[in-house]
Amino acid sequence: MGQIIELDSVTKDYGQGEVIVHALCGVDLVLEAGEFTAMAGPSGSGKSTLLNIVGGLDNPTSGSVNLEGEDMTRLSRTKLSRLRRDRVGFVFQSYNLIPILTAMENAEYILMLQGISATERKSRVNQVLNEVGLEGLGDRFPRELSGGQQQRVAIARAIAAEPALVLADEPTANVDSQTAGALLDLMVKLNEEKGITFLFSTHDQRVMDRARRLVVLTDGKITHDGSPEHAQRDVES
Amino acid sequence: MLLRLAWRSIWRNLRRTLITASSISLGVAFAIFMVCLAEGVYSKMTDDVVKMHSGHLTIEHSDYRDAPSVDLFINEASSLRKNVDQIPGVSQTKLLIRGQGVARTGTGASGVAVMGVEPSSEVQNSPIARSMVEGDYLEDSDDAKVIVGKNMAKRLKLDIGKKLVITTNNAAGDLVEVLCRVKGTFQTGTEEADGHLVQVPISFAQKLYGLPEDSATQMGILLEDPDEQQAVLKRLGAAKMEGSATVRPWEEVMPEVASYIKVDRGSNYVFQILLLTIILFTIFNTILMSVLERSHEFAVLQAIGTPPADLQRQVVLESTLIALLGCIGGVILGGLGSYAGNVYGIDFRGFYEDGLSVSGFSIELILRPKISAYIFARFGCFVLVTTILLSLIPIRRIPRIAISDAIREAK
Repeated sequence: MGQIIELDSVTKDYGQGEVIVHALCGVDLVLEAGEFTAMAGPSGSGKSTLLNIVGGLDNPTSGSVNLEGEDMTRLSRTKLSRLRRDRVGFVFQSYNLIPILTAMENAEYILMLQGISATERKSRVNQVLNEVGLEGLGDRFPRELSGGQQQRVAIARAIAAEPALVLADEPTANVDSQTAGALLDLMVKLNEEKGITFLFSTHDQRVMDRARRLVVLTDGKITHDGSPEHAQRDVES
Repeated sequence: MLLRLAWRSIWRNLRRTLITASSISLGVAFAIFMVCLAEGVYSKMTDDVVKMHSGHLTIEHSDYRDAPSVDLFINEASSLRKNVDQIPGVSQTKLLIRGQGVARTGTGASGVAVMGVEPSSEVQNSPIARSMVEGDYLEDSDDAKVIVGKNMAKRLKLDIGKKLVITTNNAAGDLVEVLCRVKGTFQTGTEEADGHLVQVPISFAQKLYGLPEDSATQMGILLEDPDEQQAVLKRLGAAKMEGSATVRPWEEVMPEVASYIKVDRGSNYVFQILLLTIILFTIFNTILMSVLERSHEFAVLQAIGTPPADLQRQVVLESTLIALLGCIGGVILGGLGSYAGNVYGIDFRGFYEDGLSVSGFSIELILRPKISAYIFARFGCFVLVTTILLSLIPIRRIPRIAISDAIREAK
C-alpha cells in the first residue's frame, strides 16, 4: 500500500514574542493508504491543529508535510486549494454544509469545482447518497435534515470526489450515541469496501475502539501510535 | 452552479435583500424621474424659444451677432431658403426681421423690439400665436397691423383696432415713423415679450426698415429632430451660402438660455451624484456585511477546495443580481412616473402665479418629463457597473481569510 501522508518533525507555534504556545512539538506521522486511524487526546493537545496541517488548511511552523509525495508547505494557495479539492475530503464536527444547497447539490459541489459534467455528477452523487443511506433525501436542504443526516451529507460530500484521504474532525461529537454508532459504521464500511483512508480526531471511546490505529496526542506530542488496545498502557507509561 | 449559488444566497437574508433592492429602486426611480423632468423642461423651453425666435439654427449676416442692426441683412433670402429647405433634417424655415423702435400712443411711449415675421409660418409653431388673449394673430396679407404684448397694451392703453406709431431708424439710418393698428394682444408670461415685443408682418417690416423685398435679418431653421443639430449644421456648412451669411446654432444666438440650461443641468448633476452616492453606499454596505458575516462559510468552502477567485466571483454576482433587481425596479418605477407625468403633466401654476421666465423666455408651468431610453439606460448601467466595481473592494478579504481560524472560531 502506498503512503498517503508523511509528517516529518512538524511543529506549530501560536502567538508572538514571549507568549508562545507550542501546539505541536516535532510530530512524525505516516499514514498508509486504506488506514482507518483515530486521533485522540485531551482538549488543547493539538488534534485539530494536526488535522488542519495535514489538510493544508494551516502551515506548520517547521517540518514538512507530504501528501502523496507532494510537499504541501511549498505549494501556493491556489495549488493547495486544488490539492484539497482533488485529494482530501473534509468532514467537520458541525457539518458545515452549504445551507442554500440541497443535500444532492452539497455532495455535488466538489465535482462541480472539478469541472465534471452534470450528467456524470448526478450519477456519481446518486450512488454516493445511496451509499451513505440518504436515498430519497437528495432534494432536502440541510435545515430539513437531522444532525445525523447532515453529517451523512457531509461524508457524501467528502467522498464524492474519491479523495485519497478523508479528514474528520470529531465527526460524531454533535450527534446522539445511536447516530454516532451509525455514522461510525458508515465510515468503517466506506473504508473497508472502497478503501478510503480515514484520519479523524475524537474524544469518543467507542470511536477509538473501532479504529484500527490510534494516535494519542498529549501536549503537542504523539504519546501513543498503534492499536487502540495498547493505548491506555502506553499513555500511562 | 455559481449563478444558482449567488441567486439563492441573496434570498438567504430576505429582508436585507429587499431593503437594499428597494433602496436602489427608489433612488434610481427618483433620479430618473428628476432628470426626465429637468430634460423635459429644457426641451420644452428650447422648443418654445427656437420656435418663437430664430430656430434651432440661424442664418444671419456674419457681423450681425456683434452688433445687431437692420442694415446687416441677408439678401435673396428666398433662393437661400430654397437651398436650405432641401437639406435633410430641416423641417421648416422662417424669415425674420428684427429691429428696435419706440411705440407711441396718445397715452405714452415705450421702447419696443420689433419682430417682422411670416404669419402663415409662425402660426403653425410660434408660442406667441398660441398665446393670443385678444383679437387675432397676424396674416400674411396684413399691412400696418401689429400684435402687442398684454402689458404693453395696458401701459399704452391699447385696444384692438387702436392706433400706435412706431418710430425707428431704417437701414439707411433715417428716422421713420409709421402708423399701425393693433390686431391682437398676446400674453406669454414674460415681461420681455409681454411688455416690449411688437410683431408685424415681414413685408411691413421690410418697408418700415427700408429693406429689399427678398431680405431678412435672420433665417430661422427648425429641425425635424433637435438632436440632429450638429449633423444639419455640418450639411449647411457644406452647402453654398452667400458670402456674408453665416449659420449659428441657437446656443450662440440665445446664449442666456443655453447658459441657464447648462448651469441648471450642472446643479442637477450634483444632485444626481449625491443621490447615487447614497444608493452606492447602501450597496457597498450590503456587500461588505455579506462578506464579513460569511467568513466562516467562505473558510469552509475554501477548505473543501473552492478557489478564492470562485468565491469572489460569487459575491460579485450576488451584488450584481441585487443591483440588477433594484435597477430594473427603478427603471420601471421611474419610467412609469415619467410617462404618467408626460401624459398628464405636472401642474406648477399654483406655485408661480405670475409665471416663470428665464432671461426673458417663459417657462411652461405644466411640466412634462421627457421620456428617454438613454436616461433610463444611463442610470441603470451606471448603478450596475459601479456596483460591480464597488464589490471588488470587500471581496479582497476573501483570499485573506485564515481558513483554520475562521472554522475554529465558529465551532
